[in-house]
Amino acid sequence: MKILEVNNIRKTFGNVEVLKGIDFSLDKGQVLSIIGSSGSGKTTLLRCLNFLETPDAGEIIVNDEVLFDAAKSHITSESQIRKNRLHFGLVFQSFNLFPQYTALENIMLAPRLLAAENNYNGKSKSEFLTQLESQANEILAQIGLSERKNNYPYQLSGGQCQRVAIARALILKPDILCFDEPTSALDPELTGEVLKVIRGLSEQKTTMIIVTHEMEFARDVASKVIFMSDGEICEQGSPSEIFENPKEERTRRFLLRYSGK
Amino acid sequence: MKKFVSKLVLFAMVLALVCSCAYAETDSEYVKAKGTLVVGITVFQPMDYKNEAGEWLGFDADLAKAFAESLGVKAEFQEIEWNNKILELNGRNIDCVWNGMTLTSEVLASMACSKAYCNNAQVVIVPANVAEKFQSVESVKGLNFAVEHGSAGMEVAQANGFKTTNVQDQATALMEVASGTADAAIIDSLMAAAMVGKGTGYENLTYTVALNSEEYGVGFRKDSDLADKLNAFFDAKYNDGSIQKLAETYKIQAALIKQ
Amino acid sequence: MELIIKQMPVVINALNAGFVQTLKLFSITLLGAFPLGLLIAFGSISKITPISVITRLFIWIIRGTPLMIQLLIVYYFPGLVLHNPIWGGGESGRFTAAAIAFVVNYACYFSEIYRGGILSVPVGQQEAGLVLGMTKRQIFFHVTLLQMIKRIVPPISNEIITLVKDTALARIIALQEIIWAGQAFMKGSHGISGAIWPLFFTAFYYLIFNGIVTLALTKLEDKMNYFR
Repeated sequence: MKILEVNNIRKTFGNVEVLKGIDFSLDKGQVLSIIGSSGSGKTTLLRCLNFLETPDAGEIIVNDEVLFDAAKSHITSESQIRKNRLHFGLVFQSFNLFPQYTALENIMLAPRLLAAENNYNGKSKSEFLTQLESQANEILAQIGLSERKNNYPYQLSGGQCQRVAIARALILKPDILCFDEPTSALDPELTGEVLKVIRGLSEQKTTMIIVTHEMEFARDVASKVIFMSDGEICEQGSPSEIFENPKEERTRRFLLRYSGK
Repeated sequence: MKKFVSKLVLFAMVLALVCSCAYAETDSEYVKAKGTLVVGITVFQPMDYKNEAGEWLGFDADLAKAFAESLGVKAEFQEIEWNNKILELNGRNIDCVWNGMTLTSEVLASMACSKAYCNNAQVVIVPANVAEKFQSVESVKGLNFAVEHGSAGMEVAQANGFKTTNVQDQATALMEVASGTADAAIIDSLMAAAMVGKGTGYENLTYTVALNSEEYGVGFRKDSDLADKLNAFFDAKYNDGSIQKLAETYKIQAALIKQ
Repeated sequence: MELIIKQMPVVINALNAGFVQTLKLFSITLLGAFPLGLLIAFGSISKITPISVITRLFIWIIRGTPLMIQLLIVYYFPGLVLHNPIWGGGESGRFTAAAIAFVVNYACYFSEIYRGGILSVPVGQQEAGLVLGMTKRQIFFHVTLLQMIKRIVPPISNEIITLVKDTALARIIALQEIIWAGQAFMKGSHGISGAIWPLFFTAFYYLIFNGIVTLALTKLEDKMNYFR
């Protein structure tokens, strides 16, 4: 079942065309790895999907609902964009946890504010908060951080911070969870714990888009791989197609550089 | 800064001249309508000062109360920054300046003034222990004077070619002498009589030469009809002897001008 | 010395009355300038060009001219030029005019500190809030604000301590704050004239009050140290 369809996304910054017409689609439960050298437009693509950037052209369709159509983008209201964003989750390279909140508070903040706007979905406030907290505790257990839930970000290691950031995105139950180089800011010995959490999510059939430089991991966890180069999708296919039989010269050269390490 | 403020005052004066025709009613109508005569003062013994209970009294203060009463309004005393007196007056924050004000050319040009009611002189203040040396205008020529900025004392000092330091008010000028930062000060004789010498806060100071003679008057807004009303009030109070009595209370009878 | 001891009760009483004016001006300035400064800060970083240009011009004018002149203009302009002396001659009108000048002046200084504080919070914080479906308003109040406050406490403390002493400027429009009250004894007040010591004695009031303010601000800074 198709969950995401991206048609002809284009984005220009100044006179640099960063995305030159991106098309792909994703089925529910699939994990998509996007690889490519820096500056190839991977991050911009993720930012477009999360509505942090507005594409100049193209469409974004989630569950057959057109969330974005550049031809009609001028009629999109602030509150519509907000709703759109909730279809996606985004985990940043630099975590971006809120420093003044504990791990648990970081996870609970957004759903709490959202529920407050909707009168706690008909429940009493305390009832809602109890439920939310047990939900957050469950997720914390899932990522193995129950012990650290009352710690502030500065008291956590990079790997722990990134796991909290994942939990913070998960609690909103996005249709598609995006990762922007989730391990690039981490010391090598800390990447494992984060990748383990992501792997766990893929086993639970969470639909994910992962921009990464961890080739082995991408190959391992992905059901589909896209290689981007120069703002275009150079090649896409199954992991074995891309990693074992790349058709394009550019893909081959890129993979050679990485496996050479 | 001081220079700037005085320029600002000048600017305000010009502005006031330009705008002075803008009010429709006469000044006395205006004062009667609001029911108060706001008297702009600074602390100045024996003309305007507070007693221990914090009430205003003094020769000027008592007369102002009586004048307000004759108009059927209440006198309100408002301490002002002396440099800003014309701003205060033209901005209608106060209704008159009644505070042992010397009728200098600047004052006469910018306010509607009453007749002179009191004689005054600008006198030289020096430490008592050196007073003997400074009994003539010649002998004080080389001294460093502290004078109130914009005061009659400053004008006199300039006319005599004295070296001056301009300070905020006469009380500060006295402090300059007491602290030794100025050799001498020039202040009003009436104030000197009340504030220096035995039994005052400045026991070690005394006054010597009188540099001029001058007169006090009350200032109103330019074109105000209250100046004439006050002149009539002065005449009446002089004729019934109550002004003379008041002058004796504050020991300035010698300086009083016959109306 | 004996004389001073005799004068002390009267002087302290008068200085206290002056100090109440100083304190009132101080508190009202802070109460008004904190929120107004935030509003001005938003104006100066607004994406709507006319708003940001006008706001920055305003900040330039207020910060580029002496507070003393602003006091004179606020108090005298309505009566002199508009022929409508809205403040009146009394103490309360003078106080209102002084408070307005102080609030506006300090709001402009605060706004620049706020602006620096807002800009120093990493963009990632705002983006994290956005992708979690928070509104800009929620992000400001629940994410940015506290981080901004933590960053601006030291520079704001500086301004607050300056403000304690700046209140003395209100004397230019004859607001009878503590220094005015102290000087009154040089000229003659409450039966005391030519007394110089009360003027210098006012320094203790400032010193003690600033000590209290400094302690409170240090405490606030410590409180903000629970996160980094």
